[in-house]
Amino acid sequence: MSKQVVENLRAKFGDRVDIYEHNDRRAYVTVSNDDWMEVLRYMYEVEGGRLTTATGSDRPTGVELLYHFAIDSDAIVVNIRTTLKKPFPKIESLAKYYNAADFIEREIFDFLGVEFDGHPDLRKILSSHDRPADFHPMRRDE
Amino acid sequence: MSTIIPIGPFHPVLEEPEYIQLYVDGETVEKADIDLGRVHRGMELLAQEKTFDQDTFLIERICGICSASHSWAGSLAMEDIVGIGPTDRARYLRTIVHELERLHSHMLWVGLGGHILGYWTVFMWGWKYREPILDALEMITGNRQNYAWFKAGGVRRDVADELWPEVIKIIDEFDEKVDLLTGAILDDPVIMGRLKGVGILTKEDAIRYGALGPTARGSGVDIDVRRDDPYGAYSEVDWNVIVQDGCDCLAVAVVRLLEMKESVKIVRQCIEKLPGGPIANEIRDFGRGEGVGHIEAPRGESFHFVRSNGTNMPERHKMRAPTFLNIPTFRPRIKGETIADASLILAIIDPCYSCTERMAILDSTGKARATTGADLIKLSHEKTEKLRRES
Repeated sequence: MSKQVVENLRAKFGDRVDIYEHNDRRAYVTVSNDDWMEVLRYMYEVEGGRLTTATGSDRPTGVELLYHFAIDSDAIVVNIRTTLKKPFPKIESLAKYYNAADFIEREIFDFLGVEFDGHPDLRKILSSHDRPADFHPMRRDE
Repeated sequence: MSTIIPIGPFHPVLEEPEYIQLYVDGETVEKADIDLGRVHRGMELLAQEKTFDQDTFLIERICGICSASHSWAGSLAMEDIVGIGPTDRARYLRTIVHELERLHSHMLWVGLGGHILGYWTVFMWGWKYREPILDALEMITGNRQNYAWFKAGGVRRDVADELWPEVIKIIDEFDEKVDLLTGAILDDPVIMGRLKGVGILTKEDAIRYGALGPTARGSGVDIDVRRDDPYGAYSEVDWNVIVQDGCDCLAVAVVRLLEMKESVKIVRQCIEKLPGGPIANEIRDFGRGEGVGHIEAPRGESFHFVRSNGTNMPERHKMRAPTFLNIPTFRPRIKGETIADASLILAIIDPCYSCTERMAILDSTGKARATTGADLIKLSHEKTEKLRRES
């Protein structure tokens, strides 16, 4: 039996989301770049998900974003995934709608060079400020 | 003309340095700009070059206070990949150590709060009462900090049954001291004057900024991973989530003080119910997959995500400490408050006080008044003295 939030995602987005339920407390949802912001805003605004953090990683297919939403009322963590094309990954920013995403997206910008369109304050956060602007330590480019 | 007060970047004994610029008009703070990363250690990248087993030793060094929290969250993420959890005995043992850690972390915060307010007795007592808890942790795990005790599947060493009466004795004594301190703090009109109504974080702001732990619960946001996504033995013992609606610094302080009572209750019950049996399930191969682990650390939720690609090392290990999301709540809290309250408001999220030791006050032309962190604390002390005289 799937959790309510997973059923809701299936009902609302249909084929546009690819859902893998790892167990009854962890689900992974893969979406396209175009549906990305719609699904994220749905998770925050409708389902009341709490953005715990986001994982960015450089994979053979491109730069992968994985936003982890905790639904505290239903004991489940829903992870929303999309993959961005290299060498200049770019996507709309959630920080416009949700302050918690501010630092989280800045961290991914800093380490992986993902440009978040519409982010209110996109600049380096953790790596040293005297590093070159295009230096992103977790990128695996040659 | 607004003046900029740079706070930070860091002090070597503190774990989470930050650099904060306060924009002030006279004594009133207009806004705050926050800059992190002064001791970024590249642990996520380093974790990819160590085996799963070695990683648990690495991640407990993220924080000097919450070493059990991070290593437990990391272990949970690894266990989530393979679907093999800890044994019953390991679940209880982990819970005991985790709650003892919350006790000493909250008590440390009470002491530092006393220091900032100019209450030296609170500072001395808080840290004195914290010490036996560290002794108990040393008895159980062998270390006061960085326990080297957690691993995916369970814990590394068992605990002899003869130790538990001693731990119970320490807990009982600690419980009395918590009552004493809570009464002394909440009955003091000057402390109430310094905390009540200062540094308001509304419930809406707490949700919008993603506040965690006591910071969120002090603003009426009823979240606690221990109850919401149960792990360890929390669903099998009787305890309450402490939530306060005050939204000010006092509410956060009360949450921390009352949480210590709950932690004492949890430790007692866990020791009574402690099951026998093996201390760890063996995990030989992690295979391919992804795992998420999150737990309620003393300051809020610690979150770990691990991806395994079939080798003995993680392909990606994401770690997020609670302070990362709690620091931005400083912005709405500080707006409209005075400089004398700045150190207290910074301290209320328990960010390890990195900022209060080294700072300079400059005006926007880059010269004029300059001071040190001690002066900011002094400002705070003067305000307490003023309240004392008036009361």
